[in-house]
Amino acid sequence: MRKFITENKKVLLIALMVLLIVLPKLLNNDYYIRVAVSVLLYVVLASSLNVINGYSGQFNIGHAGFYCVGAYTAGILATRFGISFWLLLPLSGIMASLFSCLLGVPTARLKGIYLAITTLGFSEIIRLTILNWTSLTRGPMGIPGIPFPTLFGFRLTTNTHFYYIILAIAVIMLFATNRVLNSRIGRAWIAIREDETAARSMGVATFKYKLLNLIYGTFWAGVAGAFYAFFASYISADSFILDEGFSMLAMVLVGGQGTLAGPVIGATFLTVLPEIFRSMAQFRLVIFGAAILLTMYIRPQGIVGSGMLSKKYSEQKKSDKKQDKTGAKEAV
Amino acid sequence: MFLLQQIINGIAQGSIYALMAMGTAMIIGIVGLVSFVQGEVIMIGAFAGYFVYCFIWSNFLFALFAGFAASWVMGIVIEKMCYKPFRRSPREIALICTIGLSILLKSLAQIVFGTQQKLMPDVLGAKYFAFGTIRISYIQILIIGIVILFSWGLQLLFYRTKVGISIRAVSMDKDAAALLGINVNRTILLGNSIACAFGGVAGVLLGIYYNSVHPIMGATASMKAFTAAVFGGLGSIPGAAIGGLLLGVLENLGVAFLSSGYRDIISFGILILVLIIKPSGIMGRKGEL
Repeated sequence: MRKFITENKKVLLIALMVLLIVLPKLLNNDYYIRVAVSVLLYVVLASSLNVINGYSGQFNIGHAGFYCVGAYTAGILATRFGISFWLLLPLSGIMASLFSCLLGVPTARLKGIYLAITTLGFSEIIRLTILNWTSLTRGPMGIPGIPFPTLFGFRLTTNTHFYYIILAIAVIMLFATNRVLNSRIGRAWIAIREDETAARSMGVATFKYKLLNLIYGTFWAGVAGAFYAFFASYISADSFILDEGFSMLAMVLVGGQGTLAGPVIGATFLTVLPEIFRSMAQFRLVIFGAAILLTMYIRPQGIVGSGMLSKKYSEQKKSDKKQDKTGAKEAV
Repeated sequence: MFLLQQIINGIAQGSIYALMAMGTAMIIGIVGLVSFVQGEVIMIGAFAGYFVYCFIWSNFLFALFAGFAASWVMGIVIEKMCYKPFRRSPREIALICTIGLSILLKSLAQIVFGTQQKLMPDVLGAKYFAFGTIRISYIQILIIGIVILFSWGLQLLFYRTKVGISIRAVSMDKDAAALLGINVNRTILLGNSIACAFGGVAGVLLGIYYNSVHPIMGATASMKAFTAAVFGGLGSIPGAAIGGLLLGVLENLGVAFLSSGYRDIISFGILILVLIIKPSGIMGRKGEL
């Protein structure tokens, strides 16, 4: 099947694109379209997280924090200053990137675990700051009444409109990411992931590229946040709790980090699954946690994971077996 | 006077952080990675203490023991689920497993215990010693005493017993320890359980100090434990204790000048500052982790 996909990649991509464009007509149900929008939103979020976790080997757990920064930037600027949606998309992304620099500069020189904990803390802290800084964010009351975006004087109000906006964002994001990953920058990221010391000795400026990686990944989280603010038209700190970041992480891990398709499949799978089992909504995160554990036990590289990362893993396994045969009994 | 009061409160609170940080530092030493499930261990310890105190036997020491035992069991479960199967795999797998287990436990706790916070009754009443305008409550003295007792016990364990020496040996070099005839698997299991039990006791103390337990108290608690451990130098146990105390004092001073809503934000700011200025911490060696 993998062979079939790689051979007919272009045809399949075009077919998928056509299917996605006519999807709202096919679904023809407001609720289903809303689910489709949230699937695509999570595709953007999970893919942007995957750029950080899967391609540069850094470890970001609190992606929800950057998503939140993006949403609040858009929410505040749109309600107070009436800035247009199209300008706010990149602006929120830049804002999220600035915050990621705040975390990245102190931690990028250190081992990955520092970034992991700081992002985890950041995600919680940004929520607490929003709850406490009432004069700017209205605290626990949230920001209601974010206006609908307009395009050439045409107001975009229905879920179908939003579906096409997020589809465009997702396509642009995946396309840009694909281009970046196949460039000098992307290769530097992958080199850092595989072996940071070796990368540095080959002349890769690891600090710069790690920071750049963080900036790029969080930029798209900010864009997604701005989209969410306009889509929901009401934001509050409750939408950006730690669990949100954990869900994104679960999507990336289950789908397969270090691949472009992995997070897309992971996001689709883990967003549609809880919708099917609506009655078990409260078990959503229990299932996500169990899914992460199961993935690590059965297939650490994720559903579609292969390539570099799994090579690293499978070689490890081979050497394990050798070691087990030769010296395990004496050693343990 | 006001400042002195804040410092005393800070020391009481900081000693709880110190206890948590010692657990975190032990796990970093012996397992070799930061456990993300530690916050949930703290939460489970706190709930074990709460349920035992409220429904079985209203004895403070018994509640502490329940927290200790519950998190000890959690330590065994975590070792068997997350560390043992992946001892020879890349580090990230075990790390991701602790994240998965953390999500699982936290959301299960929210379903089982409910999302509301539970009120922990005052164990010693609201009595206090008064020195002029400064008040030191019985609870604060009790907490500081218990933490000192545990630190002393850990010190004895590490330097006076065979088990402690093997734990230290395994933290330094697993292969060399195995060559010298130490049962590495059992030592890691034991060390991890002790570290988790420290977290559990700290959880019960947190519940008593704040008079409440909550299913998502683990996230901020483990953040504070990590901050304190980084402050003291990641992996150093005495450093973690000092870092915890300092964090508690600084946090309380900060809260005194701002408002109590900013408590967690202050400790996060401290973490970022430490990482910028001196990432190796107070007692850490350079180039670790």
